[in-house]
Amino acid sequence: MHSAIRLTDVTKRFDGVTAVDRLTLAVPGGSIYGFIGPNGSGKTTTLRMIMHLLLPDEGRIEVLGSADTRAARDRVGYLPEERGLYKKMQVRRLLRYYGRLKGRSIAELDPVIDEWLARLGMAGWGDRKIETLSKGMSQKVQFVAAVVSRPELLILDEPFSGLDPVNAEALKDAVLEVRRHGTTVVFSTHDMATAERMCDRIFMIFKGRKVLDGTLDEIQAEYGFDTVRVRTAAGAAALAGLPAVESVNDYGQQQEVRLTSEPQAFLRQLAARTDVYHFEVTRPSLHDIFVRIARPPQEREGVAAK
Amino acid sequence: MTNKTLIVAASEFNTQTRSKAFMIGLLMMPVFMIVAMGVQKFTRDATDVKDRTFAVVDRTGALFAPLKAAADEWNAGVKAGGTQTAPLFLPRQESFEQGDDQARAALSDRVKRDELFAFVEIPADALDPATASRVQYYSNHPAYRTLPAWVSNTINREIVNLRFRDAAIDRALVSRLTRRVEMSELGLLQRDTSGAIKAAAPVDKVRTTGIPVGMMMILLFSMMSGAPQLLNSVIEEKMSRISEVLIGSITPFELMMGKLLGSMAVSLLLATVYLVGGTAVARHYGYGDSIHLSDMAWLLVFLILASFIFGAIFITIGAACSDLKDAQGMMTPAMILMMLPWMTWFSILNAPESKVSVGLSLFPTATPFLMLLRIMLPPGPPGWQIGLGLVLTTVTSMAAVYAAGKIFRTGLLMQGKAATFGEMWKWVRAD
Repeated sequence: MHSAIRLTDVTKRFDGVTAVDRLTLAVPGGSIYGFIGPNGSGKTTTLRMIMHLLLPDEGRIEVLGSADTRAARDRVGYLPEERGLYKKMQVRRLLRYYGRLKGRSIAELDPVIDEWLARLGMAGWGDRKIETLSKGMSQKVQFVAAVVSRPELLILDEPFSGLDPVNAEALKDAVLEVRRHGTTVVFSTHDMATAERMCDRIFMIFKGRKVLDGTLDEIQAEYGFDTVRVRTAAGAAALAGLPAVESVNDYGQQQEVRLTSEPQAFLRQLAARTDVYHFEVTRPSLHDIFVRIARPPQEREGVAAK
Repeated sequence: MTNKTLIVAASEFNTQTRSKAFMIGLLMMPVFMIVAMGVQKFTRDATDVKDRTFAVVDRTGALFAPLKAAADEWNAGVKAGGTQTAPLFLPRQESFEQGDDQARAALSDRVKRDELFAFVEIPADALDPATASRVQYYSNHPAYRTLPAWVSNTINREIVNLRFRDAAIDRALVSRLTRRVEMSELGLLQRDTSGAIKAAAPVDKVRTTGIPVGMMMILLFSMMSGAPQLLNSVIEEKMSRISEVLIGSITPFELMMGKLLGSMAVSLLLATVYLVGGTAVARHYGYGDSIHLSDMAWLLVFLILASFIFGAIFITIGAACSDLKDAQGMMTPAMILMMLPWMTWFSILNAPESKVSVGLSLFPTATPFLMLLRIMLPPGPPGWQIGLGLVLTTVTSMAAVYAAGKIFRTGLLMQGKAATFGEMWKWVRAD
């Protein structure tokens, strides 16, 4: 499968601080690719370099087969992290403007604009000024602005942040619809559940370096079946001091436990202490993997000691 | 120039011409002129016509009667058209001794009580040609000049008449012999293509100075209404992160050039509206032949150059700042540059060939306005000065656009504090 985006040993520094460090990455065409990572880890910088908003200090970036990322601009849609729209402009005029800057004619754009506004529940809103829209509506308009030119590659920086569940669902459906038409979608998110459900592949960047890259199965397999979910009469207190326990994530009614030894031996130890109502051997969730990587070392030690 | 640049230019033009600021700019010059004319007319028509009653202490015993006669003549004159156009002067004769300060104080009190507007003392030796005495005019309205000027002129005219009479000289003869010969100011005679000589036309202030100044004002108002809007536009795009989306579709230089061209089109539209209106007014008053196509061509050339220079300056400020508060501090030098022609055009009008005028009209940011003025003031500057002005301004506009492009490219995606001049210089020098 061809790569929609290919990064090879890309490095970017700001005032001597390395924001992205020798990053190598290939985004398969037609896939939904999730960028995850803590704040300040280098996600937005990477996306901006792909968009040619920033230039890498070292390394090579190819977008849609072109090493000159500017050449592919008209085939790429972009939704930045912090949304911006002309407040005084009418919705249709704004969408036409953004679409025309991608090389589309008004005749091509108008049917697409109508189609997307209708799909997102905004039919008839074309003549409204942006300043009269709610935040959710504005974000939908911003999304339409990114897809109105029917791009081959769509880059979305935190597309779901700040949206209520209804609007988030509508936007999720819209992203899937875009992918159904063959568009490669790359989006960054802090919502691990969304990444797990939507992405074909997930990439995690931490302190500028790639720490995860693969399908959810591949990533979870890397971390093995070292996690159990338990519900007991004594709760989290029953886990204290058990030698097999490496860390505990306490959800109150249920605990997610990472083990250092075989699960059946742990079950026997636990059953000797308290009544066990639920015991499930599972893979670590993406959230758990994210936290394992991104949690500061002292906190990790603290958890292990619990 | 790319198609995308033109799309940005069209959008900028549409946005600006739909804004309130544009409508204000469009109306600014005509409103300014109408208000100025209205104020003049109002001040002329709404003259204070309150009676000016004043006491006269005539120690010569010979001047009050002619002064009273002159006042009657004045009063008849101001009411001659049916509407009173000036106050009536009503002299009242009073008398007291030279050293009587009590009497002066009493008259002062009457002035304070508004019974009198002023009082005048004419010394006893006023008719003596060798006198060093002065006529004294007392009033608590020092800003009102009409009455003291009239009193002084009238008394002096009568004193001169009486002195001639005492010397047995015929005043009428003296007037006839000392009558001035007036001078007419003319332009030069012209030869047409057949060699026939065309008579010199009288100098007309409207034609020789009013229209050149009007053309310069059209350029100045067009620029003031267009270029500063770029700053708001760039800051809005920066603050709301629109620039990040735009730069994902278009290069920063294309975006900046689109904005410059859009702003230039706005200024051009304003200048056209003003020119059409101004020409119609000029034709109405018989000055239509004073506005030549070559003047309009110069206006266009200088408008393009000024648009690039000032547009680039305001774009630079917008790109370097993150909000309007930051921008206000940086705008001061730019506004001074823009106001320079406004502050200096009058001295150029008085002496267009002086070293100061030549120097100012060759200063690149002022050249578009002041050189246009000098070109339109006969006989106009020498060709080398126009050429040098054009070269300097073109080089400056290119440098301004180049530097703005570099600063725009870097500053557009920066947030937080405004860039310093040192940082901007670093961006300009960066590859």
